[in-house]
Amino acid sequence: MRPFRRDWFQGDRGMHQGRSDRFHEEPQTSHTCGGSRTRENVVTPPLTAQAASSSPMAMAVDFKTYVDQACRAAEEFVNIYYDTMDKRRRALPRLYLDKATLIWNGNVVTGLDALANFFDVLPSSEFQVNMLDCQPVHEQATQAQTTVLVVTSGTVKFDGNKQHFFNQNFLLTAQSTPNNTVWKIASDCFRFQDWASS
Amino acid sequence: MSGHNTQDNTLQRRPRGRTMYQRRYNYVSEHVRSGIHFSSHQQQDGDTATTGIHMGTGIRYAPYTIPCYYQRENFKKRDQTRANMEKEQKPPERMEEKQDETSGSWFKIPFGIRYDEKWLLNLIQKQCSVPFTPVEFHYEKMQAQFFVEDASIAFALKTVNGKIWDEDNEKISVIINRSDAPHSVQKELKSEKAEMIKVMQTQDKLCIHIQTHLFFPHLLPPFTTSDSEPLNPMSNSAADHEQVKSAGQLAKGKGLWPEEMSANRNSLCTTIPDKSTNIRSVVPSVTPGEPELPLMVPVGRRQYYLIYDSGVRQGLLGAYHDEACFSLTVLFNPTDQAPSSLFEYFKDNRNMKNLKDPYLRVQLLKHTKRDIVCSLCVLPKTQHDLLSFVVDMWFQTERMLCFSVNGVFKEVEGKSQGSVHAFTRTFIAIPASSSGLCIVNEELFVRDAIPDEIQSLHLPSDFAYPPSAPYPHCHRSSRKCWRLSPPHLG
Repeated sequence: MRPFRRDWFQGDRGMHQGRSDRFHEEPQTSHTCGGSRTRENVVTPPLTAQAASSSPMAMAVDFKTYVDQACRAAEEFVNIYYDTMDKRRRALPRLYLDKATLIWNGNVVTGLDALANFFDVLPSSEFQVNMLDCQPVHEQATQAQTTVLVVTSGTVKFDGNKQHFFNQNFLLTAQSTPNNTVWKIASDCFRFQDWASS
Repeated sequence: MSGHNTQDNTLQRRPRGRTMYQRRYNYVSEHVRSGIHFSSHQQQDGDTATTGIHMGTGIRYAPYTIPCYYQRENFKKRDQTRANMEKEQKPPERMEEKQDETSGSWFKIPFGIRYDEKWLLNLIQKQCSVPFTPVEFHYEKMQAQFFVEDASIAFALKTVNGKIWDEDNEKISVIINRSDAPHSVQKELKSEKAEMIKVMQTQDKLCIHIQTHLFFPHLLPPFTTSDSEPLNPMSNSAADHEQVKSAGQLAKGKGLWPEEMSANRNSLCTTIPDKSTNIRSVVPSVTPGEPELPLMVPVGRRQYYLIYDSGVRQGLLGAYHDEACFSLTVLFNPTDQAPSSLFEYFKDNRNMKNLKDPYLRVQLLKHTKRDIVCSLCVLPKTQHDLLSFVVDMWFQTERMLCFSVNGVFKEVEGKSQGSVHAFTRTFIAIPASSSGLCIVNEELFVRDAIPDEIQSLHLPSDFAYPPSAPYPHCHRSSRKCWRLSPPHLG
């Protein structure tokens, strides 16, 4: 394995001050300009009252709602996550909960400090996502904390390394406000498909 | 008077002024914290017992001042202050309801005054109808404490309260508090478990028991990243088979869900297949109707595998929650000339990169156990290379276990017979019954295998099947295995 180089500044050259990175309401794949730079966020419309309910009966009745919301969150999230990973790497830790854990090819990274350090060390990347799936996580597992399982796959090229196929999954957890829902990564598991021989 | 130091003796007989004691007591009462409880009753002049106060924290024992528990003169029953104090000083309800991992419940027995250990324990045993084994007898400040393992023993000891006196005719109180297992026992437990695991490893048997304590995973030896090595994200974490330098830790969900109160605990996480292991036993896929195989985690040379036979689909279905979710995605190489060998998976393909119809997105997410049954049964028959499995256990709380299985399998029938595919199967499971798993979410991703995966595929036709049952340990102590099967099929 060739030693990696810290070339992720290349990614940073694409950053512009003053870009708003906040997405409201409708999912967007492009950045809006203007205004002061705000926190990186995966934001969707507020969860419906029914969907936010923790009653088990509500869960059965509103399954379609859960699915729709999960899909919306997952698509929004995936767009932002990989875009941030490729182009605004330094902002990536903001998508994680404070105590989130990343498992990267078997290596565990826990907590925002460690995550920030890890993503700092990681070479610049070019991700291509070819597969996306998501499910609302059953409330019995999360004790009514709205959570979405996101599974992705695709290819990635890290600077100084060959291209890999990768598999990744996330647990996203919702933090609801009256105006919107902010999704954060509770856990992130990443693995090259060919890690055994890389 | 054995066990008493001379200072105590002296202080006992020193005349005391009321004011001083009251002041001291007031100081104590102002600083009462939840850890304070009665420790010893001491009598003088035939008066009924006064109450002593043990300060668990905060107040240092100054040798030449009078410890608070000697303030008996001022705390006679008829004294209103003392009566109030008694009420105030009642040991708080400090029953720690934490379920700890030891076999019994632990109780802490605190005392006051530094009695000689043997003398005290003998004295207690004389009065106690139940034989007891004190663990970790020690003094905290002036309070003697020891642990007993059983609730019934603890309560038997409690009855000794007020029935024993020391050689100064002072009553000795016995109070019990429920507590976690003492550290020495915890350590013992850990080493026991580590021993068990080591033994299994050296025997090269592929079996480790993940007990229900997986939800309290500090019993498993933690595999930790070497602190001295900087983390190289691009490094192959399996480069060194001898030392798992960068195996994972299971993240405990502390702080992620507001209700979580679990402490930081380590557990075993990601696994790396041990290519140096010679074990090639493979459990062939079982047709529906055959008895299921227990799901277990085998171990070889510090590496852990999750064995899962997806052929045993009927048996596994008992492990699905009534409202479980299952979805399937497929990726195939579009440049393939021949029709894809994965075509039988296409109809259920829920890859949202291509599938945009919201209605279909809901439809293709199988929601009930029954729907999941139907979906799984119509998938092609497969044979898995169990030893190729790599498992990432990437999240865990007391309520759920999240893990992913990566591996390869072969199609064993139909038009695509002989094709080798790779899969990643992601599970979210919750505990069920005494030692079971209940799947609430499952995502299966199937794709073409890459050349390396095809080359490393090993199936029974390639190797002789070992004569003995592959996982004897788990069969015998199935209670301690995760079982992805309803109990009645056991």
